[in-house]
Amino acid sequence: MSTRTLEEPVRSRILSALEDQDTTVTLDPLENKMVLNMGPQHPATHGVLRLLVRLDGETVTGCVPELGYLHRGYEKIAENSTYHEFIPHTDRLDYLSPLANNVGYVLAVEKLLGLEVPERAQYIRVLCCEMARIASHLVAAGTMAMDVGALTVLLWTFREREKLMDIYDVLTGARFTTSYTRIGGLAQDWTPPATEMLKTFLGEFERDLAEVEQLLYANRIFVDRCENVGLISPQEAVSLGMTGPILRGCGIARDLRKDKPYLVYPDLDFDVITYPEGDALARFYVRMEETKQSARILRQALDKMPAGPIHANETKRVLPRKERIYTRMEELIHDFMLINLGVDPPVGEVYQAIESSKGELGFFLVSDGTANPWRLKIRTPSTANLGALPVMVKGGMISDIVVVIGSIDPVMGEADK
Amino acid sequence: MTTNGQQKRPQIRKKDLSLWQLSYIPEIIKGMFLTFKQILRPKFTRQYPEEHWTPPSSYRGRPVLVEEDGVERCVACGLCARVCPALAIEVQASETEELAKERYPERFEINMLRCIFCGFCEEACPEEAIVMSNEYELVFSNQEDAIFGKEKLLMTTEQLKERLEFLKESR
Ligand code: SF4
Ligand code: SF4
Repeated sequence: MSTRTLEEPVRSRILSALEDQDTTVTLDPLENKMVLNMGPQHPATHGVLRLLVRLDGETVTGCVPELGYLHRGYEKIAENSTYHEFIPHTDRLDYLSPLANNVGYVLAVEKLLGLEVPERAQYIRVLCCEMARIASHLVAAGTMAMDVGALTVLLWTFREREKLMDIYDVLTGARFTTSYTRIGGLAQDWTPPATEMLKTFLGEFERDLAEVEQLLYANRIFVDRCENVGLISPQEAVSLGMTGPILRGCGIARDLRKDKPYLVYPDLDFDVITYPEGDALARFYVRMEETKQSARILRQALDKMPAGPIHANETKRVLPRKERIYTRMEELIHDFMLINLGVDPPVGEVYQAIESSKGELGFFLVSDGTANPWRLKIRTPSTANLGALPVMVKGGMISDIVVVIGSIDPVMGEADK
Repeated sequence: MTTNGQQKRPQIRKKDLSLWQLSYIPEIIKGMFLTFKQILRPKFTRQYPEEHWTPPSSYRGRPVLVEEDGVERCVACGLCARVCPALAIEVQASETEELAKERYPERFEINMLRCIFCGFCEEACPEEAIVMSNEYELVFSNQEDAIFGKEKLLMTTEQLKERLEFLKESR
């Protein structure tokens, strides 16, 4: 029913119901403007993102992303759980790269405690981060291609991701809820079967990725849909606090693995991928090239990984080895103390960020000396990157919103926390 | 932060496409060729549930209690209940004269609707009394059924052999 046939009071009631503090709906004599709700259940919003879009015909004149549909209060939960207990919750932040979140969180806790894990554990953590990056980028590339109509690519990238999931299974015991890292170490050691599986994966990966490239790169439909869509200038990107592939897709070579090195990244050789154009196509290329760099890191890390322990030698802060718990009194007491009372961090605050697949994933911990964090702030890249969505879609077509969301690659579990 | 000190990387934009490529024809042919090539590849999917999946020994299935010589190993210390991030475990301790141990769990319940299969209980247990089995098929028709008591949780060391060996090696 057209609003023109409605009586004036009814009509203004409808208009005011559509309005909120961010969007104003003005009466338009030509009736060609409208406010549209996109999401939270729209398949292209990659989760539960709601967009309030103001349209003039098919042109987007304004957009307000509304976050929070997947809010689970993780920062508050952290205040009521010990540092150890919070590890499984980090799986569920960015659910496309749980292993990287695990690593980021324990790095922050270890920084607070002043712990340093042995080199082998650091290499395993690098392997974890890079496997997570490949898996996440594969999903991002696949879903973005699906959003512009190339469904085949999604199935192919998911097949590749599935191989990584199988490695997670052998390594951590779960495909997705990995909970693999521990404060001062890892749940269990890297195993030879995992090495074999990863080598097989790496052997085929580039060949299989090339098929995706052949399908998309010179494809006119794909190029037409993505080129000059969701443009953002480097200045805007920086001032909006964007990180990750989006920022690198604007030509800014910001990568925490190089700029603020953690783990053993300084010993590994890789390039930071940048593309200067700042549109959706550039972001797609950044992701595709980054997976290759990650594969390069994985190969090096597999070669360089030394033998040795995977736990920091600090009996009062790191959970003791099981056989010692079964046989020795001292370790048994430590086990009881650590589980019941938690670690005893010094009073203070730390910030530790890693370059996750989406950008800068930071954990800011404030400790009051008790076993629970006094405050845990999670700086998630998806939240910041979604802030740029209104800038990117403004002036574009409504169908381009889907492409832009795909190119931002938000994960709502992480954006809403 | 540096602005693009990188070498130029390959990228195909609209201006790079030739007239022939712009006509869609080569892309359709190439796409069809690649797609049909997939038919010759080995199948990647599994016909579950006809074809069952056997998890590796590192797999964390549902947590179970280890039964040895007809009794559970658990001494009801409550560490697993303490460490459980999902608050899924309830242990009620009692004392006994008959067994080799002094304490045993009179009641031991895991709410399988709460459990997130993190494996922390297994890691914390000082007696290797609770371990993650390889069972992953959990179906309940109501909430009460999802609370597993001792009768559903106990598993003999024979059944759990693989996992116990894995734990011995890796933890
Ligand atoms: S299962 Fe282990 S940790 Fe849990 S109460 Fe029994 S002995 Fe303690
Ligand atoms: S696996 Fe985790 S959630 Fe499940 S009972 Fe054990 S500690 Fe609790």
